[in-house]
Amino acid sequence: MDEHKIGVYVCHCGTNIAKMVDVEAVAETAGELPGVTVAKTYKYMCSNPGQEMIIEDIRENGLDRVVVSACSPRMHEPTFRKALQNAGTNPYFLEMANIREQCSWVHDDRSVATEKAKALMTAAVMRVAEHEPLERRSVDMCPNTLVLGGGIAGMTAALELADGDRRVFLVERNDHLGGNVARVDLTAPHLDSAADMLTDRLTRVVEHPNIEVLLDSELKGLSGFHGNFVADVTSSSALPDQNGGRQLDVGSVVVCTGYQEFDASRVTHFGYGKLPNVVTSFEFEKMLREGRIETKDGRIPQYVAIIHCVGSRSREFHAYCSRVCCMTALKYAHEVKSAIPTCYVSDVYVDMHAFGKGHEDFYRRSSEVKTLFLMYGKNESPVIRRADPKDDCEMLIDVNEKLSGETIEIPADMVILMVGMEARSDWEQVTHKVNISGDKDGWFIESHPKLDPVATTTDGIYIAGACQAPKDIPDSVAQARAAAARILAKTSSPTIEVDAVFAEVDEDRCSGCRICNELCPYSAIEFNADKARSEVISALCKACGACVAACPSGAIKARHFTDRQIFAEIEGVLA
Amino acid sequence: MTFEPKIVGFLCNWCSYTGADLAGTSRIQYSPNVRVIRVMCTARIDPTFVVKALQDGADGVLICGCHPGDCHYSEGNYKLMRRYPLLKRLLTAYGIDDARVQLEWVSASEGRRFGDVVDLMTQRIRELGPSRVSAALATDAAER
Repeated sequence: MDEHKIGVYVCHCGTNIAKMVDVEAVAETAGELPGVTVAKTYKYMCSNPGQEMIIEDIRENGLDRVVVSACSPRMHEPTFRKALQNAGTNPYFLEMANIREQCSWVHDDRSVATEKAKALMTAAVMRVAEHEPLERRSVDMCPNTLVLGGGIAGMTAALELADGDRRVFLVERNDHLGGNVARVDLTAPHLDSAADMLTDRLTRVVEHPNIEVLLDSELKGLSGFHGNFVADVTSSSALPDQNGGRQLDVGSVVVCTGYQEFDASRVTHFGYGKLPNVVTSFEFEKMLREGRIETKDGRIPQYVAIIHCVGSRSREFHAYCSRVCCMTALKYAHEVKSAIPTCYVSDVYVDMHAFGKGHEDFYRRSSEVKTLFLMYGKNESPVIRRADPKDDCEMLIDVNEKLSGETIEIPADMVILMVGMEARSDWEQVTHKVNISGDKDGWFIESHPKLDPVATTTDGIYIAGACQAPKDIPDSVAQARAAAARILAKTSSPTIEVDAVFAEVDEDRCSGCRICNELCPYSAIEFNADKARSEVISALCKACGACVAACPSGAIKARHFTDRQIFAEIEGVLA
Repeated sequence: MTFEPKIVGFLCNWCSYTGADLAGTSRIQYSPNVRVIRVMCTARIDPTFVVKALQDGADGVLICGCHPGDCHYSEGNYKLMRRYPLLKRLLTAYGIDDARVQLEWVSASEGRRFGDVVDLMTQRIRELGPSRVSAALATDAAER
């Protein structure tokens, strides 16, 4: 091990690490470890000067191994690997010690955190000494893309890719495109028509020579890997001789499966389903699209109340904000007022979230159309009850008005519940099919919330629109275009480079027992009958290492996760 | 001095390591006793890793992977689940309390759960006391 020249770089990460970990002490300990010739700290190691420092040390001091003690490798491992590559050394001669996410951010005792940081750094130093140079693999990149879901996000991604001369299969479960946007009348804050917006896209999608729309269709399974997926799509409206199923070769997948609305009947005190004129926002949209705002018995309502945050921002249902309801509620106030100028509109809200471009202006204009705004506390939900026959309205709503501190009774002939967005009930099936994850609310998890918002942890699978989190049309469109841009870049050459981490069989040690053959989830291990040895097809291997641990002869090596490397790491954390 | 156990954690890259990172970004505070080693999948965890950790002085070993059905490699965690009882039997045969090794499922969104798992594991091992190896190592160090 002593023949190595290891450089250890301990990052302050501003104060993120330095506040809780004595970075100088970590560097000092590093300097005493065998093989370590350089040990430095720096404010931001990932910054250009930080990377330059490492590159310079590699070139000038002949470092052959680098340890960066900083954030999670999931964050900056690619950054520092690139730095090593730029310095002319093998990028796999890097190891990161995660002293931020798994140390400084989760502990509150500086000396204990520093000791742990030293242990993690030591493990990384001992591990990196065992690292081997690895070459990245090149695999074919199929330029076709599968887009799941024909809502605004899916159609946008499809068009963007098709305009970039890539073939797209747009799979939609329903018998029509448009998704939830097709259920909307006007859109906030500019009150332009959703239908107008959709029609042009719909026509282009349907007529585009590069887009094949598969309606009444679902993804049954996805196999393969980035650049080389095979999608198994079944269609309920397929001709009998087509057998209902198709195998599509695609290189990338964009998941745009959207959201479903919160079931308003879960909030019992609003009487949804019992009081006939308590309607959800989507039911009200339907009235707007049909051009008739009227009660169940065909009367024109004189009092309309709009209640915000139904299912959202609540301890009982969903803790998150659904983002679109506040502006949609204001839009309803406008639409009711313009259809029925004498109508009294009350808007019962928790907080008015007017965060988007033009939203504050829209809020101001809405308050000018004589809407009565009443604020209620998050956990003091209004109660709707039937009015007395002597009252001139159908229902009464009791609101603990927060700003005045008074209980106010407001009349209503119609109540619109602003139902929030929630993950589709079958979100888990989608995650399993395309091998991505959902968060605690069922929204799909992006690769990095800020820096990589449309990629996922599975290479080649992208997410866009409201399946990732509640969002409005502009954000969905932006994400869809971003996902398309990522794919256009990735498919700009016929091959892509993939990680050099995979398993390999040592022919001399393999006994040909074939235990590994059955174990591989990707059928990446084949038995070579001539040699009576098993062989790994590296392009198919995804480096899980199941075969490595199972091989009774110890003949399979997990590149970059070898026994020696992990043993060194174990010794290091316990040193 | 209270006994501070040294615990080696083997975390799968996709669910549990990401969950541990989320605990960090969420600033969830938990016991500092677990030192994490990342593997791509719990299926990579050779029983010898666990034995090696105990042999080198770990008081406990915590293995965290994706929840059953959620494995990034579809069924790697099931492979670990098959090995795990055998490993426990092996440890018992060696005279090691098999409670020193624990398997827990932590998804990428369960930062809070990761913190709880670490706290609980630390508490358990603290109650078990130092392992014989770590006690012997501590005596050696004291004598030196």
